[in-house]
Amino acid sequence: MKIEQTIGVVLRGGVIISSVCLAAGLALALVNGEGGVAGILLRTGILVLLATPVARVVVSIAKYASERDWAFTLLTVIVLAELLASATAALVFNRRL
Amino acid sequence: MPSVTAVIALFIFLAGTLAGALGALLGLGGGVFLVPFLNLVLGFPFTVAAAISLTTVIATSSSVSAARAGKQLINMKLGMLLEVATAGGSFLGGITAQFLSQSLLQKLFGSVAVIVAIIMLTRLKRRNVILDPAADPGVLGGRYHEDESGGVVTYRVKRLPVAIGASFVAGNVSSLLGIGGGIIKVPILNAWCGIPLRAAAATSAFMIGVTATAGATIYYGQGQLEPALAAAAVLGVQLGSWGGMRFGAAASAKWLKVLMAVVLFIVSAMMFARGGR
Repeated sequence: MKIEQTIGVVLRGGVIISSVCLAAGLALALVNGEGGVAGILLRTGILVLLATPVARVVVSIAKYASERDWAFTLLTVIVLAELLASATAALVFNRRL
Repeated sequence: MPSVTAVIALFIFLAGTLAGALGALLGLGGGVFLVPFLNLVLGFPFTVAAAISLTTVIATSSSVSAARAGKQLINMKLGMLLEVATAGGSFLGGITAQFLSQSLLQKLFGSVAVIVAIIMLTRLKRRNVILDPAADPGVLGGRYHEDESGGVVTYRVKRLPVAIGASFVAGNVSSLLGIGGGIIKVPILNAWCGIPLRAAAATSAFMIGVTATAGATIYYGQGQLEPALAAAAVLGVQLGSWGGMRFGAAASAKWLKVLMAVVLFIVSAMMFARGGR
């Protein structure tokens, strides 16, 4: 599969899974409140949404590396590192509060 | 943190639908409309509004790019290169936002809204330049088939440092203010870097998912992202942008651009009025 098609599949899959989780979670939250299953579905939906672009970057790294395109492998690794820095900052903020 | 009720969720869903539809019709994300609605109308703290808006940016980027993948309009190599700058800018913006007061963020938003309105008004009649199809696009350039003219458009990227600088600023503004940032980099990529408007817009839409993720993750860690409210906004924006793309033609949207520029001037004035208190 070409890189464009693989990325298309990753993005579409992420959107569908997160939208279904968010829709089901929101519906349940409005009926029963935000605890329990509704909370889990909503948080899963948000995490899948946030993970989708990250997954797209990881797939790109693998593709460029397999094509031995080292310049673009390095660039996409830097993008992944920046996303991981954000996640790290999020954890640091989380602990401080 | 505002709690979710059926009425609030419905309001946010409808606002998201409207913002998504306008965004698709105008060729920009809906965040520039969604953030002021959540902040000024519903009274959410600015950072909570920005966090919700960023999740809708991610969803729009992913779904629009999934539909376009394989059509060559998205310049993936250029996008990945510029993402180094947007994600870095966004990371710094997300952290900076935690230390700025709400009134300063509102004034910043007011300033950016005016710039967006002016860009929209000055670009009412822009058209693409069709370049020599036999030209060599180079490593970062691109080539795509244009349906309207039936021809192949080929372009090379000029002034790469300008593109990188604009991407950094766009990323920074994106996570500070909760917008996609395409309105900042698309005109620059088009006017100065030789990239046809449609390719610039598609590449920008592809990039803003990663850009917004770098910012949204920080807001989420800070506890500023309320999942139920974000769910309502994301589902609304998805519906709205789907409808906007299906039923609207961006070419005939000139009067809509003028109207929205007026709305943005009003939004800007409201942001300054609120931020000045």
